Amino acid sequence: MNYSALFLQLLPETVLLLTALGLMGAAIASESRNGKALPNKVAMGVSALGILVAAVLQTRVPDALASTTPLLAADGVTMIFKWVILGLGLLAVLLPPAKREIPNPGEYYAMIQFSLIGLMLAVATNHLLMLFVALELASLTLYLLVGFPRTARTTEASLKYFLFGGVSAAFMLFGLSLIYGFCPSPYLPDVAAKLAESGLSPIGAAGIVMVLVGLGFKLAAAPFHFWAPDVYQGGPATSVGLVVAASKVAGMVVLVRFLVLGFGGTEGWTTGLSVVAAVSMVAGNLLALAQQSVRRLLAYSAVANTGYLLVGVCGNGALSSGTALFYVLVYGLGTFGAFAVTAGVERETGSDSVESFAGLVKRSPMLALALLVCLASLAGIPPLAGFAGKFAMFSAALKEGMSGGSMPLAWLVGLAAVMSAISLYYYISVLKQAFVREPVSGSGCKLPVAHVLTVVVPAVALVVLGLFPGLLMDPIADAVAGLLAMK
Amino acid sequence: MLLLSLLLLPLIGAMVLALRPGLGGKFAAAWSVLPLAVIGLIIGSSHGGAAAEWSLDWMPDAGIELAFRADGTSLLFLFLTAVVTLFSIHSSLRFGIGDRVYFALVLVMQSMLFGVFTATSFIPFFLCWEMTLIPSYLLVRLWGSAKAPKAALRFFVVTLSGGVCMLLGFLALQLTVGTMDFVELGKLAAGREIAGAMGKALGGVSGTMALTIVAGMVFLGLAVKVPVVPFHAWLPDAYAEAPTPVTMLLTGLLSKMGVYGLVRVFLPVFPEVLPAMAPWLGGLAVATVVLGALAALAQKDLKRILAYSSVNHLGYCVMAVAAVGASTADREAVSSAVSGAILQAFNHGVIVCALFYGVAVLEQKSGGLRGLNDFGGLRAKMPVFCGLFGLALFASIGLPGLSGFVGEFLIFNGVFGLQPWAASVALVGLLLTAIFLLRIIRLVFCGPLKDAVSKYEDIGKHDRWIVVPVVAMIVVFGVWPQFLLHFMNGDTVRLLDLLCPIP
Amino acid sequence: MNPAWTLISAFAGALLVLLLPARMAVHSRVVALVAALIGMVTGAVDCLIRLRHPEHAVWSLDCEWIPSMGARFHLEADGLTLVLMLLTGVVAIAGVLFSWNVNQRQRAFFAWFLMIIGGVYGVFMSRDVFLMFVFYEMVILPKFMLISIWGSTNREYGAMKLTMYSIGASALILLGLAAAYAGAGGTSFDLMHLASAEYSTGLQAWAFPVLFLGFTILGGIWPFHTWAPTGHVAAPTAGSMLLAGVVMKLGAFGALMVAMPLFPEGFAMWKGMIAGLAIIGVMYGAFTALQQKDLKFVIGYSSVSHMGMVVLGLAAGTHWGLRGAALQMVSHGVIAGLLFGIAGRVVYARTHTRDLDELEGFDLWRTLPGAAIGFTLATAASMGLPGFSGFVAEISVAIGLWQSFPWLVPLLVLGIIVTGAFSLRALQKGFFAHRKVAKVDAPDLPPLTWPEITAISLLLLVSLSIGIYPKPWVTLIDETLRSPLFHSILSLP
Repeated sequence: MNYSALFLQLLPETVLLLTALGLMGAAIASESRNGKALPNKVAMGVSALGILVAAVLQTRVPDALASTTPLLAADGVTMIFKWVILGLGLLAVLLPPAKREIPNPGEYYAMIQFSLIGLMLAVATNHLLMLFVALELASLTLYLLVGFPRTARTTEASLKYFLFGGVSAAFMLFGLSLIYGFCPSPYLPDVAAKLAESGLSPIGAAGIVMVLVGLGFKLAAAPFHFWAPDVYQGGPATSVGLVVAASKVAGMVVLVRFLVLGFGGTEGWTTGLSVVAAVSMVAGNLLALAQQSVRRLLAYSAVANTGYLLVGVCGNGALSSGTALFYVLVYGLGTFGAFAVTAGVERETGSDSVESFAGLVKRSPMLALALLVCLASLAGIPPLAGFAGKFAMFSAALKEGMSGGSMPLAWLVGLAAVMSAISLYYYISVLKQAFVREPVSGSGCKLPVAHVLTVVVPAVALVVLGLFPGLLMDPIADAVAGLLAMK
Repeated sequence: MLLLSLLLLPLIGAMVLALRPGLGGKFAAAWSVLPLAVIGLIIGSSHGGAAAEWSLDWMPDAGIELAFRADGTSLLFLFLTAVVTLFSIHSSLRFGIGDRVYFALVLVMQSMLFGVFTATSFIPFFLCWEMTLIPSYLLVRLWGSAKAPKAALRFFVVTLSGGVCMLLGFLALQLTVGTMDFVELGKLAAGREIAGAMGKALGGVSGTMALTIVAGMVFLGLAVKVPVVPFHAWLPDAYAEAPTPVTMLLTGLLSKMGVYGLVRVFLPVFPEVLPAMAPWLGGLAVATVVLGALAALAQKDLKRILAYSSVNHLGYCVMAVAAVGASTADREAVSSAVSGAILQAFNHGVIVCALFYGVAVLEQKSGGLRGLNDFGGLRAKMPVFCGLFGLALFASIGLPGLSGFVGEFLIFNGVFGLQPWAASVALVGLLLTAIFLLRIIRLVFCGPLKDAVSKYEDIGKHDRWIVVPVVAMIVVFGVWPQFLLHFMNGDTVRLLDLLCPIP
Repeated sequence: MNPAWTLISAFAGALLVLLLPARMAVHSRVVALVAALIGMVTGAVDCLIRLRHPEHAVWSLDCEWIPSMGARFHLEADGLTLVLMLLTGVVAIAGVLFSWNVNQRQRAFFAWFLMIIGGVYGVFMSRDVFLMFVFYEMVILPKFMLISIWGSTNREYGAMKLTMYSIGASALILLGLAAAYAGAGGTSFDLMHLASAEYSTGLQAWAFPVLFLGFTILGGIWPFHTWAPTGHVAAPTAGSMLLAGVVMKLGAFGALMVAMPLFPEGFAMWKGMIAGLAIIGVMYGAFTALQQKDLKFVIGYSSVSHMGMVVLGLAAGTHWGLRGAALQMVSHGVIAGLLFGIAGRVVYARTHTRDLDELEGFDLWRTLPGAAIGFTLATAASMGLPGFSGFVAEISVAIGLWQSFPWLVPLLVLGIIVTGAFSLRALQKGFFAHRKVAKVDAPDLPPLTWPEITAISLLLLVSLSIGIYPKPWVTLIDETLRSPLFHSILSLP
């Protein structure tokens, strides 16, 4: 084993780890020296700096570094999505929690670093065992992050998250062991080879189902989504920012690696997955219609978007999974931006209800404009990135699901298109408050610079990616094609 | 280009009126002399026999053109239009009717009438035909009496429906025969090819049958405008409720559009099915003549009497058309009937102007009354007026030597040779005409002097300047009809060649 | 002039309006007017150039955009596009002029307004369906904002309904386009490429109706028309003008340029059905308009009826039919703009009512003669009286219909007659009311302002120019209809 290469490859993660340790040390030092917790701003700054350094170092990782161990993949997908995770993580860190919500910021931000390490490892492996470990590292820290403020609401959210997550982990582990029974190698390309050789055995099929249930929990696919609204509503802004974007992206990468790379050789799972997709889209959108809290609304919209993403995966091909990964990134940006605006509104009015957005355009034109961009992108309205992503994903799914001249996925894509149209209704009812209604209170929103960044960056990114989706779509599609060429 | 300038001239005038708030009727009166001058130029320049023409491709590769051509007959009607409009504008000024918008509308209408009387293809014909509708509707609607709205609406709806029928008829021709051009259709019709072409295009349906329906629809559209009984229901109200200068336009010009269409479009395009339709048309024409006269007899209101009298007089024109349709055996008779119809239309236009002007004068003197019995002994108080008005009345009766006579004479001369029964029955109408018109003279001019009338003064210089030229025309064209016939001889011969080719 | 100026002027205008400092907000209308003027002049000049030099190559701009999907930034300005660009320019100018005295949040108003205009130009010029769809959807949010912020009666409901219908229709279009894209190999969105691809019959059978319906919902096809009257009524005047004048045309344009050429076989299968829906729309719109009390509703339903004629022309599928549909698009664009402008701006702003019974009391003919005359002419145009654009369009549609579905022609005629009836009714009640119900103290209404007169004259002029001399317009439209895009449709049996 070439340890220096391994070190080079894991340098960003190492930096994050060091940052985390440093933060914890500083927290203890600060508390023992003057009895006060490390100030939130300092912890946040250090944490953001660590992530920045990691991101810079990530550029130093040689492109074509041969993987030194089967546990870690060094393909294009890994490279791109590590950045994505770092970027979304940085945004989450910059999104400040409510005042005095976090009693001990040092530990809190250290925890975020750990969870980012987990997510980064999760997108960087084709090894089933590593995959499980990385996902659980991320999940466990996220449970804690959601429950950090120790109020009744966050505790409930955290507990729910933990219970559902724990069950899902059990499902996943069980499924992985079944798959190990099907193919005595936890390495996904080996699984694909075995599948091509002997076809899918019932044990393998059961394994797929179990793993899918587990991943379904992580991705908040209906009917495994019950934790999502409570977590979205209850958690501190920073933690939820991490949950809504980075963890979703990581989950999708894992799903694509597992299903399309490992089991792309069989069509057996597409029907089941398309049913889950359909249920997610319908349930997510319909439930979102009834929400008064924008945080919950975003949670249900997340369920619906998981449905769309699964449509892309159902295409079971390089382009459809590639575009699905592009879309999950775009979705992450959009929903994060919308969430950041919500957090800003909450900071001012103390409520995340739809009514608290009234007249936002007069109180803070920038927030309103960013909200418009993010929600319109989520609804799939051009020229924003959400539109390009959805369109590319759906048409790729149609094309790659095509057999002969007929399109078996047409119904699913049709449903997705219609559901996506319906989603505009609840997005626009928020926008209506922001743009049409008169403000209740006249005061303007004053947000910290970091918070402003978390609002503006996603919005700008969505516009740029909407006008030139090729900037990211092409590299991602190429990377996925390269990944799938492994099998 | 002369023709184009003639068509555009009134429109330009209307636009100027619409844009310059300071202008009014005086401007319109002055402006409407210009078309007369242009017509004079056209007549002068077309002496070699070449008619003024102007055309423009309207719809590519459909063979539809905006084509206008002013031949002799058209020139007669152009002249009539120019004169009647001028007269109407002057009477409006005289009676203080109308404002800027009013005169602009009159000018727009004039332009459209020029178009109708020169169009040689259906599309320009129809465009102008229907475009007269809005100005005339507005003129009746907005400057008419209290009951005008209803009358105007009825006028609008009835003539519009007629227009739709005509349109559908010609559309059917376009779709089956492939052209809407009058000249083209005339050529085809001369070879008796239209029915065959229609039958072929429809496949299985009898071409003659289809062409009959088409001809019926076209007739309907034209007849509504004339109007022919039973499509005349809109007329009395519209004529009576419109302000008198507008009534002059309605009866002097708009109804002529129908006659013009019948002679210049209906006859040359449908000779194949005319013999079969002729008895019906003849019946309608005779009914128009007789019932029009009877209805006039029953009226007490001067304006309504004149309105029905118009129905009656134009009925003769329709009768001529029906007779030509019935038989084309006798070339001389056909020629006589066709020339008669045109002359009758022309002269009627001039005469009614004078008549309605007279009514307007009376109405003004009496403060709005215009009943047959509201006056009496007028002769004593207003000798000049009675002389001029009486002359017009006698012209309307058809007294030889006045212009009304020539047309009727030619028509009867022709119809007796072609459809004798119709002419015989129509003689009754002739008689009735004389009765109800003479009754006006008896009750209004003669008789005991009424108190109200005794205060009237004779018409002044202004009125005379307006009326005398018109009455002079009545006399001149009565004495010298050759002047008018000379214009249309060439066209009549051409029409004859189409209808009854020399074997 | 480079046709791209239309797009550039609209979007640059929108940006400029947004960047204006608050104290200059009132000048945003000038910026908007200039932007609209540039658009219209570009359209008009290019139309003239195209007519004079038909042999020149069509202007086009084709550059790489999203290589992985094969979407290109492909604009083209052939005949029909130029005509519709001119229409958009005219309606835009009229819209700005009729909004001359919008007094709240002017900058936002004109920014959204110009964004719609820009999106519309974009749709008309795109020859890459992905790009076209981008522009197509780009107008949805501005529409919502325009209606829900500056609208009148029931504005939030109307705006939401309109938006949901639009986005729902977009979902269908998305599905249909994705199917076409995938079916053609998934390498290019180029319209010509997609149109020349071979699709299986099964695909055509379902993808055509999906795509066609998606487009025509925005075109107001019955029974999915209900957004139109409510949306039109709720919108501010300029909004209704844009909505009825050009946005509904986007749907018809898409159906004509995308749905039909892509799936000719599917069109052949469904055309009877479409013709049936369209003729129901024509009749339904006309009969419903006959019973409305609100002047704007009358116009709204008349739009449904008129757009039904567009779809009818499309369903006919012959050269005459398509030509008629295109003409009717232009004609209705102008006329609807005119009617809405007069009813919504000129009259409503002065009388504060659109109820026909109440309007009777204002004796508008005497108090507001300019509006009465303008509305009379607009009504005449809307009735399809010869000399106005409606006549040429309707006659072309009728001829096309005769060639494909002769037995529907009588129904069309009936529809046209009822159109005449409701138009006259609205005119009579609204503008030429009887004196007896007139209020004694009928208020003195301010006379028409110059922006209003200019806008009315401009729109009337366009309608008349089509009606009296349609040849240039038809020549331009025919140029597009003769392109290879329509070979498959026009050669159907």
